[in-house]
Amino acid sequence: MATVKRLLLSEYFVLFLSVAYFAALAPFTPGLATADNLGNVLATLLPLFIVAMGQTLVLISGGIDLSVTSIIALCSITGAAIMNGDHGWLAGHPLAVPAALAAMLLVGALVGLANGVAVTKLKMPPFIVTLTGMMFFSGLAVWLTQSKNIGNLPAAFNRIGGNTVIAFTITVLLGVVAHLMLTRSLWGRWLYAVGHNARTSLISGVPVHGVVIGAYMASGLLAAVAAVMYTGQTESGSPVLAQRLLLDIVGATVIGGTSLFGGRGKILWTLYGVLFLKLMDNSLNLLDLSHFTIMMVKGAVILFAAVMDTWRTRAPA
Amino acid sequence: MKNIQIESTSQHCERDGLLSRKARRPLQCLYWKMFCWCFAPIWMLAAGLLLLLPMGCKKAQNSGSGGSGEPQLTIGVSFETLQTGFWVASLDAFKAECAKRNIKMIQAIADGDANRQIEQVKNFITRKVDGIVLVPKDAKACIPIIKAANAANIPIVLFNRPPDKSDAKSVAVVADNFALTRETVKYMIGEARKTGKKHKAMVLIGDLGDINAIGRRDGFDAAVKEAPDVVEVVARVPTEWNQEKAQAGVVNAFQANPDISFIFTSSDFLLPSIVSALKATGKYKKVGEPGHVFLGGFDGDATAYQMLKDGYLDATGVQDVYFEVEACLQAILDARAGRPVPETITDAGFVIHQGNLKEKAPRMWGANVKQ
Repeated sequence: MATVKRLLLSEYFVLFLSVAYFAALAPFTPGLATADNLGNVLATLLPLFIVAMGQTLVLISGGIDLSVTSIIALCSITGAAIMNGDHGWLAGHPLAVPAALAAMLLVGALVGLANGVAVTKLKMPPFIVTLTGMMFFSGLAVWLTQSKNIGNLPAAFNRIGGNTVIAFTITVLLGVVAHLMLTRSLWGRWLYAVGHNARTSLISGVPVHGVVIGAYMASGLLAAVAAVMYTGQTESGSPVLAQRLLLDIVGATVIGGTSLFGGRGKILWTLYGVLFLKLMDNSLNLLDLSHFTIMMVKGAVILFAAVMDTWRTRAPA
Repeated sequence: MKNIQIESTSQHCERDGLLSRKARRPLQCLYWKMFCWCFAPIWMLAAGLLLLLPMGCKKAQNSGSGGSGEPQLTIGVSFETLQTGFWVASLDAFKAECAKRNIKMIQAIADGDANRQIEQVKNFITRKVDGIVLVPKDAKACIPIIKAANAANIPIVLFNRPPDKSDAKSVAVVADNFALTRETVKYMIGEARKTGKKHKAMVLIGDLGDINAIGRRDGFDAAVKEAPDVVEVVARVPTEWNQEKAQAGVVNAFQANPDISFIFTSSDFLLPSIVSALKATGKYKKVGEPGHVFLGGFDGDATAYQMLKDGYLDATGVQDVYFEVEACLQAILDARAGRPVPETITDAGFVIHQGNLKEKAPRMWGANVKQ
């Protein structure tokens, strides 16, 4: 019993689970272990990992960011409106792509800032702030485009998301920076402290508001980077981009072991969570299971992860 | 840090005799057991599915060839959604047609997510399918998908929704939304003319980002333009394919023009909104009864079939799902055999109305859906 408990509570549990799952299913699943398929899994894993990193930071701070999907959509149409070749504001201009990228990141950071300010200065619950934020910014994206997609984007932009090597490099860089920020910087320590107990942290001299606003801004920025990749993959800006991804984003983070109660989480854990979720998604698809079965299995696994989180948090050490 | 806190809290409790650890344990255990039992069916279902996966898969691998000795073809069918009856009926029609032709069909539903659809079609390509049928999320985001299939040299056919213009090569099987809507509305106008008076009309328009919705709107406009003596359009309700928006729009239109007596909806799935508004104003009357509001639609779903049978609906333009499905599979087979395939295959569809209901119903997909 003690060994099982140790394994379940191990921080590498989800990684072991992913490896075991892959090894168990590979002989039976047509095409699962092929290089093409693994490349496909990697390409779809990268943007999800980036946006889940932001979610990890916010969850560690004791909050939750449900607005990330609307940030992705809003950034997608902002960038596309600037650089598309049909009637973009900077169509054909050599600076169109850099300007679009800058605008996308700015939009992400600003929405994050708004979320952070509402949570800290107005003392509103993160759940309601980001839920209403999701509704507002999704609606704004649809209204701005009149629910039309924007195509004809520059090839240089599409390559950022479409080319796995470029996307991989960006993801690794962001992952390393986020990991170091969490583990080696003072901000990282403050973030864990705030997640554990915001009141005690405040009394201890931690600039709680600044730390939490920083987490939401980082989440917004990372969602904007994910938007660059998702938009590049579809080669078009869409006001409903990533609309159905919220469960995957929060699910992957929680499966990794980041706590919904705050104060606990690691970038590496989120990587394991994203890896497991993507492997499961990919294999269930390859096994030709019906859409509803896949949704049921995914829902059950995420629920199981949430139960594990509750157990870890409540179980006596 | 947290653990230390928990330890110290429990020690504090024990010291103060508030709740001893021994006394707390059974209570925790009880909560835990209750929680586990509540979710037991979900765990069992998930565990069962995971256990059955390898078995199901082995079975799928074993059935690798057809009875005739020729290698069995595999076709990947990727749908953007299964949210309305039309798509569910279409997927069922694909399953039946594939079984009839001894083709193995693998399916993927993107749940409205364009990126997921790209991933799923790449999965098909990884599995080296012999052809791909795609219901794209939208006309632009499907272009990278078509390019990926082109690069893998796999024929790809778009079902019911055409792509935007690009250098990517595909075949699209689509209904002639314009002509079929015009025919349907012409029939309704013919019936309305028999009353000898001029009717005020309302039209429910779909999402104008969808080329099918534009075709239906233009078809309606073309038909009413030819009969200014019979119909005058007084309300155009934008629905964006949304039932709630349709409902609000219809109610508003009835308040502004209570004497509307001619209604056309760009999709049958919006009929319930119209019916509830008509019932609320006491105008839901059968065809031929005094005060009947002329009602027409497009798609041919199960609601429309029931309303036709009950005598409330005048006509609907039916997309011939069975023709479209057959054409998709035939296009893939032709492309594989090197035969020329046109870029667009048009489904002329048919108008079903009170006069030809019995004759046409077997071909109406909505009539074959179990309610």
